[in-house]
Amino acid sequence: MKLDDRIAAVVSAAAGFSWLGDLTAENIARWIELELGQYLSDPRLQTYGSQHCLTFPLSPILHIVSGNTPHAALQSLIRGVIVGATNWMKLPQEGLPEVDTFVRALPKEIRPELAGDLHQCWMEEAEAIVVFGSDETIQEFSRWARPTQRFLAHGHKISLGLIWSRCDPHIAEGIARDVFPFDQLGCLSPQFFFVAGDSAEFASQLSKCMEKQRLNLVAPVRDRGLAAALRAFREEWKFRAATEPGVFLWDSLANLDWVVIHDPNPGLVTNPLHGTIFIKAMPSDPELALSPIRRLISTIGLSPVNLESVSLAIRSGAQRTCQIGQMQNPPLTWHHDGWPALGSFVRYVDVEGL
Amino acid sequence: MTTSLETDVLRFLSQPEEGKFESLALAIFNHQRRENPVYAKYCEFLETPERIDSWKRIPAVPQIAFKRSDIRSFSVEETTTEFRTSGTTGEGYGKHFFPSLRLYEAAVVRGWDYFRLPRHRLILLMQHPDEAPFSSLSRMGGILTNFRRDRFAIAKNGGFDLDQLREQLLNREAALTLFGTALAFLNLLEVFPARCLELPHGSVAIETGGFKGSGREIGKRALYEQLSVRLGVATDSIWNEYGMTELSSQFYSSGIGRSHRAPPWMRFQVIDPDTNEEASPGKIGLLRIIDLANLWSVLAVLTQDLAIAQPDGGFLLLGRDPDVLPRGCSRAMDELMRSAR
Repeated sequence: MKLDDRIAAVVSAAAGFSWLGDLTAENIARWIELELGQYLSDPRLQTYGSQHCLTFPLSPILHIVSGNTPHAALQSLIRGVIVGATNWMKLPQEGLPEVDTFVRALPKEIRPELAGDLHQCWMEEAEAIVVFGSDETIQEFSRWARPTQRFLAHGHKISLGLIWSRCDPHIAEGIARDVFPFDQLGCLSPQFFFVAGDSAEFASQLSKCMEKQRLNLVAPVRDRGLAAALRAFREEWKFRAATEPGVFLWDSLANLDWVVIHDPNPGLVTNPLHGTIFIKAMPSDPELALSPIRRLISTIGLSPVNLESVSLAIRSGAQRTCQIGQMQNPPLTWHHDGWPALGSFVRYVDVEGL
Repeated sequence: MTTSLETDVLRFLSQPEEGKFESLALAIFNHQRRENPVYAKYCEFLETPERIDSWKRIPAVPQIAFKRSDIRSFSVEETTTEFRTSGTTGEGYGKHFFPSLRLYEAAVVRGWDYFRLPRHRLILLMQHPDEAPFSSLSRMGGILTNFRRDRFAIAKNGGFDLDQLREQLLNREAALTLFGTALAFLNLLEVFPARCLELPHGSVAIETGGFKGSGREIGKRALYEQLSVRLGVATDSIWNEYGMTELSSQFYSSGIGRSHRAPPWMRFQVIDPDTNEEASPGKIGLLRIIDLANLWSVLAVLTQDLAIAQPDGGFLLLGRDPDVLPRGCSRAMDELMRSAR
């Protein structure tokens, strides 16, 4: 299928998924142009420095995706379809209905193959393997990959916010937009916010807006074991709020929809996610405080966005910075985990002396 | 006041009267709220009214509170005994303090007898309390055996005392009761893969605890089936003791798929995790326990274990799912935190 037809097919199939961003034919064409120039759209040799170049899609591409969000899975698939690869996807045990829907909406000739169990031949025949998941998952699959296969690993990442503003409804709404999608399980979902100034007051103000913000979203379905673990976590922090100075907690009544926890200690803590918002006092040296997770940071949401805040975020290890409220909406052209999104899925052929 | 409450609880343990449970529970609650500053703050945070009219409304501290704070309803100077949790989760250990073990001892013995568990020839797959002074389980074993050293089959170095065990197993004239952690039982089977471990006719095995920190997991059914084959006892003669360092009393169940039941001085509720209220019958929830013998700390504890209330008045213990949290990208932080410990 020709590139224009593939683009049209992707645009059509993605129409039902607003969270995939502004996927129009024009935007996709601009994205291709930005990353790959004329390589995809023009099959002829392109001048490249003193030589000529061609690109070919790595094909087939095997996408091994995790169950936390359908976002990353669909983005990976869309990139594979756009470059013209044959795509195979190994779905998580619990499946990803959004991926099924998207794939069914594609024309048969470019429709990726999906499977709950990994076919051994996929692992052997794929030219590129993309893996989303934990360190163990990535290590497991990397052991099976051959040196001739391009292995692209997207491990778990941590996103966070740095805030020097007061909490007004606009900021609160932004935090809700960043935290609640995908039940906070995505790599772009912030796990905590460092807040300068009166962080406890900020948390208090934020909590007042949360009920309204949560109402705007569909309540996530959680199994009983998960709900129990979240309840146990919340009750632990209630105890801490009752007995430790500076710890405060506000939560949704009679459900587990959201909880705002103010922790005066800027030290890093595990967040169980699923609507858990940690507001922590801004450390005197945020870069130092974030140094243990430097290599794990994905996105840092900022308020305000200015040269100083951006510079601090980049020094701290951010792969991406954006305004608070935009953390879940990277542009089509973003470099997921710092890589070129389309460029990673093609190989270049250099032609000299022509 | 405390002495009088202790006397009241001791009396209740020896002569339980259903009708007196609630008033005693509320009296202990009022006492603990008054004498335990940590608990008082917790009640204040939860906006618990000054007067409550049901044991079901007594605020339960989360189990982890015993790790974060000293939960004492008496003065520090009066402390004579400290039990500690294993600390295998890497977050430090929980502490349970006592000014006296009178209540603890009574609860252990009365509970054991209430379920008609045999005390003759009780062999303990655990260390003697002299070797494990902070272990409530070792103390429990000691209480049940008058601290006789020849009843403890785990040596000071943590390995099996082979001579001791061999001697006990060779004596086949009378039934015996083998009591230890599930992990100790598993080790026993592994240490003696070929040896006949068959217990005398009428013997009973009582296992407790899980496999925390051992890196091993085995389902209850598989464990009981293995124990049944190797020890030569019916699965119905294998009991589970469900207790914890943070409590003074224990629940018991026998066989597979049967309810855990409480002695008369304990109650439980299954809490709906979504609403934090009592779950409707048959629904899975978190286990919340009231133990009148916990006079010296707090009598209501919210565990992290899942359970289902049963029509027979007991509960089906499901335990906790170790993989449920963290999920997704929170695992990155969790792994980092663990490696930093």
